[in-house]
Amino acid sequence: MRVEFQDIHKYYGRVRANVGINLVLEPGRIYGLLGENGAGKSTLMKMLAGHTQPSRGRVIFNGKDTGGLNPSRALAMGVGMLYQDPLDFPALDVWENFRLGGRQRDKKRALSRLQELAERFHFGLSPEEKVSELTVGERQQLELLRLLDLGVKVLILDEPTTGISVTQKEMLFTTMSQLARDRGRTIIFVSHKLTEIEELCQEVIVLRQGRLVAQLQSPFQSEDLLQFMFGAEHAGTAESPERSQPGRGEFIQLEDVQLSGDKYSLPDISLQIRPGEIVGLAGLEGSGQELLLRGLAGLARVLKGRLVFDGEELQGRPYLKFRQAGIHFLPAARLEHGLFPDLSLNEHFHLAFPPQNGGRDNLLPEEGIKKFNIQGQLSTTARALSGGNQQRLLLALIPAQTRLLLLEHPTRGLDHGAGQQVWSHLLRRCRQNTALLFSSADLDEIKAHSHRVLIFYNRQLVADRPSHAISVEEMGRLMAGQGRAV
Amino acid sequence: MDFLALTLAGILSAGAPLVLATLGETLTERAGVINLSLDGTILLAAMTAFALAFVSGNPWLGLLGSIAVGIATASIVVFMGPILGRSQLAVGFILTLLCRDLAYFLGNPYARQFGPELPVWSIPGVRDLPFIGPILGYQSPVVYLSLALTVFFWWWLFSTRAGLELRAVGEEPWAAFARGIKVQRLRIMYTLLGGALVGLAGGAFSLAVKPGWGRPQGAEGAGWIALAIVIFGGWHPLRAALGAYLFATLQVLGIYLQEQFPGLPAPLFQVAPFPVMILTLLLVNVGSTTWFQDLAFRYPGMKRWLSRWQVTAPAALGQDFRPEK
Amino acid sequence: MSYAAKFSLSFGRLAAAVFLSLVFTTLILLVSGAPPLHTFVILVAGGIGSAAKLAQTIAVWIPLVLCSSALLLTFAPGLWNIGIEGQIILGAIFATGFLRPFPAGASPLVLAGALIAGMIGGALWAYIAGVLRTWGRVHEIFGGLGLNFVALGLTLWLIFGPWRRPGVASMSGTEPLHPSLWLKGFKGFSLSPVSLVLALLAIFLVIYLLRSTRWGLSLKAVGQNPEAALLFGLKPNKRIVEAMALCGALAGLTGALQVVGVYHRLLPAISSNYGYTALLVTMLASFRPKLIPPICFFFAVLNVGSIQLPLQLKLDSSLSGVIQGVLVLSVFLVHGLEERWQLFRRKK
Repeated sequence: MRVEFQDIHKYYGRVRANVGINLVLEPGRIYGLLGENGAGKSTLMKMLAGHTQPSRGRVIFNGKDTGGLNPSRALAMGVGMLYQDPLDFPALDVWENFRLGGRQRDKKRALSRLQELAERFHFGLSPEEKVSELTVGERQQLELLRLLDLGVKVLILDEPTTGISVTQKEMLFTTMSQLARDRGRTIIFVSHKLTEIEELCQEVIVLRQGRLVAQLQSPFQSEDLLQFMFGAEHAGTAESPERSQPGRGEFIQLEDVQLSGDKYSLPDISLQIRPGEIVGLAGLEGSGQELLLRGLAGLARVLKGRLVFDGEELQGRPYLKFRQAGIHFLPAARLEHGLFPDLSLNEHFHLAFPPQNGGRDNLLPEEGIKKFNIQGQLSTTARALSGGNQQRLLLALIPAQTRLLLLEHPTRGLDHGAGQQVWSHLLRRCRQNTALLFSSADLDEIKAHSHRVLIFYNRQLVADRPSHAISVEEMGRLMAGQGRAV
Repeated sequence: MDFLALTLAGILSAGAPLVLATLGETLTERAGVINLSLDGTILLAAMTAFALAFVSGNPWLGLLGSIAVGIATASIVVFMGPILGRSQLAVGFILTLLCRDLAYFLGNPYARQFGPELPVWSIPGVRDLPFIGPILGYQSPVVYLSLALTVFFWWWLFSTRAGLELRAVGEEPWAAFARGIKVQRLRIMYTLLGGALVGLAGGAFSLAVKPGWGRPQGAEGAGWIALAIVIFGGWHPLRAALGAYLFATLQVLGIYLQEQFPGLPAPLFQVAPFPVMILTLLLVNVGSTTWFQDLAFRYPGMKRWLSRWQVTAPAALGQDFRPEK
Repeated sequence: MSYAAKFSLSFGRLAAAVFLSLVFTTLILLVSGAPPLHTFVILVAGGIGSAAKLAQTIAVWIPLVLCSSALLLTFAPGLWNIGIEGQIILGAIFATGFLRPFPAGASPLVLAGALIAGMIGGALWAYIAGVLRTWGRVHEIFGGLGLNFVALGLTLWLIFGPWRRPGVASMSGTEPLHPSLWLKGFKGFSLSPVSLVLALLAIFLVIYLLRSTRWGLSLKAVGQNPEAALLFGLKPNKRIVEAMALCGALAGLTGALQVVGVYHRLLPAISSNYGYTALLVTMLASFRPKLIPPICFFFAVLNVGSIQLPLQLKLDSSLSGVIQGVLVLSVFLVHGLEERWQLFRRKK
């Protein structure tokens, strides 16, 4: 099916998400949709999949104007989208997820059809398992099978490789190529990862600030792509700010610590961390790095072992003790877990820095806003801030006497510039001997900023290496359970 | 033997309204909507059923009236909650008080009167069976209805496509919407259907189980217990019905004990269901507390036993769903 | 939007809601065969028609204001303290229990002691509901409700059991307290200046706590995001229990005042539904403290006026509850419709 975008504009109030996009997608090809966070890729695809309407312009399938689309109409016309966060039903079984919204089938026939499709693409899915038990990659595979069963002709993949293993990724790419070849399906692969686009796509479309700035055929030149993505004034990989050397001595010690969380436990970890040391944690979602961060923050149970922080034993103590000792945790879901949506900036500062808790080093709200460059007034609510500003607010609320910072995905969802700012602030803290542990899905980020890398696989710590002694490729392999562990 | 059969028959009868109300609210909550107005609706429906039956001489008309009342209050809940976006808890709570006061106000002329009741059916064939005969053979139609509907909705929820869609809507309305399921329509439909069953429960009270109308009627508090049983029952029709019969057993037991031990204060028996209600809720929720999980690590046997009882609500329960985003 | 425009918008909304309530109430009255206009007149006259009636209305205003202010404390962290009804009752029970050993003639200290005992009783009852929520994950609606019925049962047991009047145990309650143990009212009305002052103090206290203290701010924070509150070190569980206990204390005070200042004994209906009515008041006020006194006055007029209904019109006095419920619902309705209308206009 031939898809055409004619003069597409999309506005959200004053924000222009897409401006004047004209694009034709031919059947049987694999397109890459490349752009920074906020460039307009997801918005454009949401219009194709029927989740929103264009403010202006038309979407045309095989020469016919689609009129107003909603997700089910779009699906009926053959457009399906695989979301980064699968839109499925964790509480229901695999086969029930497969059957929902699909053809009228009883259980027996649904099971056999699922089996048939799974075998064709070599996916191993057990039909009566609850979807909540599957990995992100497996959930994607299930969703893919469901869309294929519905006869989807245009398949949109939205950042599909976040959170899946290398093997699963290779399987996905093979499947995509296969799908495009037989029956002439159109595949649109949305990503900000150059290497993957270069590997998979025949044609790449680059968006920047809502506009279509380039449409190129493979083979691609990375520098060209980067230039289109970021504009002429910023090309090439960004410079990492200077990192200082960690201090001496054993600041934090874990001896045979067993941590336990809601879904799983992390067995016997022994670790030492020096003051000012930056440790990056790598691993697929659910491999254990989240639990380590939470355990160090006092938010997860320590079943056995000793957790010593600057000479003080903290295992078994409540969260507040950890906080008093100078440990601070920043969650990845900023608004959902870290801030109060309808309280103002002023109130956030007031709550974070009680006046009696010794305060000369703690910030007054006006100072905080200025120092951390938060775009907002004292009375702006946290909900009204952009993602980048929410992260800046979280950083501004870190108490001055913090000596261990634990961050989940510090730059997730931020554009490049905002991410750099976050890091320059974090590094400034580390120069003052604050130790930092952070998890990230971006292996380049980990390599660029850490002194040391911890790699998790299958709920175990499998490697602990200095960052200069390990390559990004090897990190990926260890994360997926291949390669030699230390 | 006779005595046991009689007691069981009494439990089935006393439990019928609770089963109906609990079933109805289970369906509503499976769609993600909370109808907190149960207690008031049951009273208003009971009053309406009795008044209609009294005035017309026909108890079946009264039963129809009670269904209408249930649908009416549910339509207010669904209009102001899911459609207009007001807090479901607030609207439901206001309606509980309003319907109760409305019931007392409009029912004033019918208080302490004798009116028609639903006939007791005797089922040929069943009534002659040994042991089961006296239990199932002579019951009010609402009892048979409660049993039939329990089985029906158990099958409906877990073995049909429509039931699957209902469960999907209550878990992840956005994902359901993306698959072409008419989320809002289903939420409205099941809230109204649930309301109809709740109204039926009211009619079951005033036309069968606790005939007549008064202030108090005797059905006070039943709606709240039904809401708790929905949770205790894990939003599963069979388990919810079991919970309802548990409370009915307590009631019947209470009457028996009161006769046997007249020295015990009467309020004890009226009040007893409520601490039990709190205990049942404790039982099914406690597994998610941190202190319990700590204990469970040291005594894993306890964890295994207790975890069988734990329940999880439909993920989207009480949340708004606005498709025009 | 200018101040005048905002004011006329709010006024318009209120007018629409009042209009809707009047229409619905009139319909109900017609259905029940009562003359609508005459009924309304009797209601209002029954509330403010004479000095005595006005005093009675104020005597109802006091517990409503006390309880509504108290509920602001529990609504701030997003709690549904339906159990406030039982907390009032426990306050009444504790106050009565405290006073029973004093047969006659006691200093004002004894009365003060009764009030404090009432606060302890209410706080205790609320504490139980709070702990059920924080430790047992039992939603405070169910915990509170269950405890309401238990409180009622406790009252009945006391009135017909250990505390019954010698000779005749009846629904009219326990033995009346000695007049020296009564809170003195204004010139023969059972309206005490002490109660009035306490009600006013309560509302100012609550406003102060919520607006000007870190504690009040942390309550709001806990209501918005319990996980973030934990991370900020705000101790959400502790805050929840504290808010409940303080609310319970004020509710208990209300119950104690009902015993000591109004009925002078313990009755089954000692709480007079004030707890549930206060919930309606607070919702109608959209949790804004300034609106609570006037709304409480209006509701009090309805409550006192409805006493006349059975006497003069053979109607049940629940009409006041009907009007109150319909009014809150109408305000919700108008609010919701208005939002919908705004959304609709913005889309065009």
